[in-house]
Amino acid sequence: MKNGFVIFLAAFAMIFTSWSAFVLGPQLQLGREKQVPVLNSTEVYPRSRHGEANQGLQVYRANGCAACHTEQVQQDGVACEVVLSSAGKNPAAISNLLATLNLRGLSQADAQAVSDKIAAGGGKVETHIVAVGPDIARGWGLRHSVAEDFLYDNVVQLGSLRIGPDLAGVGTRLPDANWQLLHLYAPKSVVKDSLMPPFRYLFETRKIGDAPSADALNLPQGFTPPAGYEVVPKPEAKELVAYLLSLHADVPLYDAPFTPVVVAKP
Amino acid sequence: MSDPVISTSSEPTAARSLAPMWILVLTLILLFLGAVYFDRHSGWFDQQVYSPYASAAMLDSYQPKSGAAAAAAQGKRVYEQVCGLCHGVDGLGKPGQAPPLAGSDWVIAKGHNRLAHIPLAGINGPITVGGKNWNLGMAAMGAALSDADLAAVLTYIRSSWGNQAGEVTADDIKTIRAGLVRPQPMSLDQLMAMPE
Repeated sequence: MKNGFVIFLAAFAMIFTSWSAFVLGPQLQLGREKQVPVLNSTEVYPRSRHGEANQGLQVYRANGCAACHTEQVQQDGVACEVVLSSAGKNPAAISNLLATLNLRGLSQADAQAVSDKIAAGGGKVETHIVAVGPDIARGWGLRHSVAEDFLYDNVVQLGSLRIGPDLAGVGTRLPDANWQLLHLYAPKSVVKDSLMPPFRYLFETRKIGDAPSADALNLPQGFTPPAGYEVVPKPEAKELVAYLLSLHADVPLYDAPFTPVVVAKP
Repeated sequence: MSDPVISTSSEPTAARSLAPMWILVLTLILLFLGAVYFDRHSGWFDQQVYSPYASAAMLDSYQPKSGAAAAAAQGKRVYEQVCGLCHGVDGLGKPGQAPPLAGSDWVIAKGHNRLAHIPLAGINGPITVGGKNWNLGMAAMGAALSDADLAAVLTYIRSSWGNQAGEVTADDIKTIRAGLVRPQPMSLDQLMAMPE
């Protein structure tokens, strides 16, 4: 062992380098992540999950949902859209002008040029920031996923394989708890060509007692239990649905900006 | 038969030899290209910079700065701090404290002149809102707000809770504020005497 010390140093350097890159670096970069303000709003993000939804994360994990579903929306780029907010005094001229201009998918400089042209015609415009990419086009989210999205996830269920759709914003996309329960019990009853296996063991098929249960699933033709029986979700199914409905990774944040569309509350 | 004698005078040793020069050069070129890519795309380990944003400056330039969304959020914030305590965050008012703003004819009037005078000067005495008579006083809660804040809050109440009335701009407020001679609480008659 003439070079023993050198070999030790080399091995130490190797291990230290990988530890720095894979443990220390991320810890320094993201270890102090906390709630952040939502852009143009008084809200903070993310909100911690309530108990049932928190349990649901463990059900999600136990059933290996992450084997087929991801919780990460990708974004290829960012673009500007010019939106007319007021046509001004000469609406006909403005609409003629708009017909000749490309208003979507612009760079910042192009958006400025278009805005100037419309402003010169007397119209008022707003420039909206939108995220661009295949995932966004599929409607899976309005922006890419960021570290804050996973602040209250323990264990984080990122997933890497997309046999099913991405679930990062499923609580916004499919907010109906009943739909989610039907989909878990019999995916084909709501999505005709679904590949998802039915999770029947999260439900109980039981004899109807004095009166049908309030929780009983309202299953469509062809999926109904035998006469006199009803299908009710077990607590796990309700928890899983509570977790799915708590997934709303689509508010605008500083590190994932886009212009939110404001809908006046009724 | 005798085994060939192996010389034991010297042990074989591994000779050190220099790595070929082309490997060194290639490594340096790759390192350099990697560093250039890192510099252009990484955001320098900033925790808020993700691809496709390449730097904090680029991310900054893409923050939505103004527009209806920002104004609505500003109006909501001011409303909840200043007005919401009495008029309610739902705009439904509170019996004995403040009349509702949701669906109120004063709020959704075509013009905003009378509406803007109420927070700027205050109001006193009987007034009918939502089919009920109210006889309360309101101080000039809006007098201390900036033109932009008051405009945002008026725009907010005129476009929330089902109300659908036009925007109020900071310039409008500026004009109305300049026109106030003696900012004293208004009476119903005074309000009705001015243009809508």
